[in-house]
Amino acid sequence: MKEQDPIVFVIDDDRMIRDGLQSLIRSVGLRVETFASAQEFLGAKRPDTPACLVLDVRMPGLSGLDLQLKLRDDGIPIPIIFITGHGDIPMSVRAMKEGAHEFLTKPVRGQDLLDAVQKALASDRALRQERREAHEIRARFESLTPREKQVLELVVEGLLNKQIADRLGMSELTVKTHRAHLMEKTQAESLAHLVRMAEKLKTATRK
Amino acid sequence: MGRRVDEPSRLHAIARYALAIVLVALALLISLALQNSFGNPFWFFFSVAVILSTWFGRIGPGWLSVACSTVAVMYYFTPPIHRFAVSPSDLPYFVTFVACEVGATQLISWRRQTEDALRRARDELEVRVAERTVELKNANEALLKQMDEQRRTEETLQATRAELARAARITTIGELTASIAHEVNQPLAAVVANADACLAWLSRERPDLAEARAAAERATEGATRASDVIARIRSLITKATPEKSPVQVNRVIEQTAILAQGQAARNHVAIELELSPDSPIVLGDSIQLQQVILNLVMNGIDAMTTVADRPKTLTLRSESQGSGHIRVLVQDSGIGLTEEVKSRLFEPFFTTRSKGMGMGLSISRSIIEAHGGRLWAESNGSEGAIFQFTLPSEDRPSA
Repeated sequence: MKEQDPIVFVIDDDRMIRDGLQSLIRSVGLRVETFASAQEFLGAKRPDTPACLVLDVRMPGLSGLDLQLKLRDDGIPIPIIFITGHGDIPMSVRAMKEGAHEFLTKPVRGQDLLDAVQKALASDRALRQERREAHEIRARFESLTPREKQVLELVVEGLLNKQIADRLGMSELTVKTHRAHLMEKTQAESLAHLVRMAEKLKTATRK
Repeated sequence: MGRRVDEPSRLHAIARYALAIVLVALALLISLALQNSFGNPFWFFFSVAVILSTWFGRIGPGWLSVACSTVAVMYYFTPPIHRFAVSPSDLPYFVTFVACEVGATQLISWRRQTEDALRRARDELEVRVAERTVELKNANEALLKQMDEQRRTEETLQATRAELARAARITTIGELTASIAHEVNQPLAAVVANADACLAWLSRERPDLAEARAAAERATEGATRASDVIARIRSLITKATPEKSPVQVNRVIEQTAILAQGQAARNHVAIELELSPDSPIVLGDSIQLQQVILNLVMNGIDAMTTVADRPKTLTLRSESQGSGHIRVLVQDSGIGLTEEVKSRLFEPFFTTRSKGMGMGLSISRSIIEAHGGRLWAESNGSEGAIFQFTLPSEDRPSA
């Protein structure tokens, strides 16, 4: 199995539901791992692949909502599909506010769950892609010297070489040299590309 | 006759005076007739007339008869005859006669007055007794009515209380219903998930029969579990009305200990009994009380499964309390209760076990409360928990 194969984590304290969901998800060719409790899930090693969580809200010990908060606090972004016996409104509101991907009520129709799983995996794939890109951009940006970073900031602001040279107290030629270096290091194909990358990095940092 | 004379009407007064005159006239006629026949005057007939007049006519007619007699005697029988005068020689005789008449009238009237007073008193007494009797009768009737009313009030109260108890029970059951729905929904969710999985395996390009069969078997298992849950709930609700009769608490505890012995032995738990020596009695449903104690005992045994560093002991204790209550304690040396667990223990379907239904303590509390008692839990120092309940105790039967 390739490392990039997506994986679905099913956490439910009820063995029969767990096995049913696992079988159902497996039948469409997805990889499934099951856990009887939130603690068990937290203790397990998770491969670095697109994934999503199918989570029972009501469980002894750490509840589904508790796990959601814990994952958020630990900075583990993984889309969660909640399954609840009686989807009471305050609980669903709370879960959705905390970024739950989907909220399904028991008994869940197989197709609904599979659709939700596919959507969640697609979303995680996109997020991971975004994160990876941001990560790469950050790595490239990190490789810049302090001087180059200063120049970059002003370039992105839209200043001309002459203005930058004035602002930083250096010759226009030096600015041009720095600029050529930073374009190379960040693998920017154009000024527009550089600005887009800087923007993406800012957004990712804010997240 | 005496009663009629007593009646103070004018007609009677006239009749009484007329009687006096008639009697005197009668005495006069008899005396004249006898004097003509025998020569001696028979004055004592006048005395008879006076006595009768006074007796029947009272003092007024008495004096009238005295006056009439005196005049008649003076005129017809004392010399000079046919004149209203008395000769000096006859005077003492005449005076004695008058004095006798007066004395007799006086005495008789006094006697009659006394008698009348007595009779009146007696009559009054009778009237008063009658009045009192009526009063008593009224009071009695009022009392009876009051008692009747009270009985009816009590009946109404009883009915209301029963209604209230039923309502309370329905409320408790109502509270449970939402959670019961969850408990039934859980296996149904398993059925749906597995049935969908089964279909999915079958509708693949190359159907995977082994996977489909496994899923179908799990679906069947889920359906069986759902029907088990329903059966359990049904038996629970049909048994909900406690049939109360005197129950020996110690005996229930002993029976429960015997029932739990197997489970305890499998878990290496020793059950110890510390029963109150005065074998207290409560009014209740022994089956339900046994369910409660058994539930607490099983919980206690479960709480000690992971204990390894100390003896696993489950103590069942009963105590009579001064306030007409008995207390039953179930103490374990298990993992104890965290504050969080303690605060949610009695919530329906709260459980710390993956297999637990989470209804035991909630139902136990309903049962104990239906028996007029209280059920609560405490931490047993650093190790274990104490679950205890109180029940109002009955007086010991005299036997």
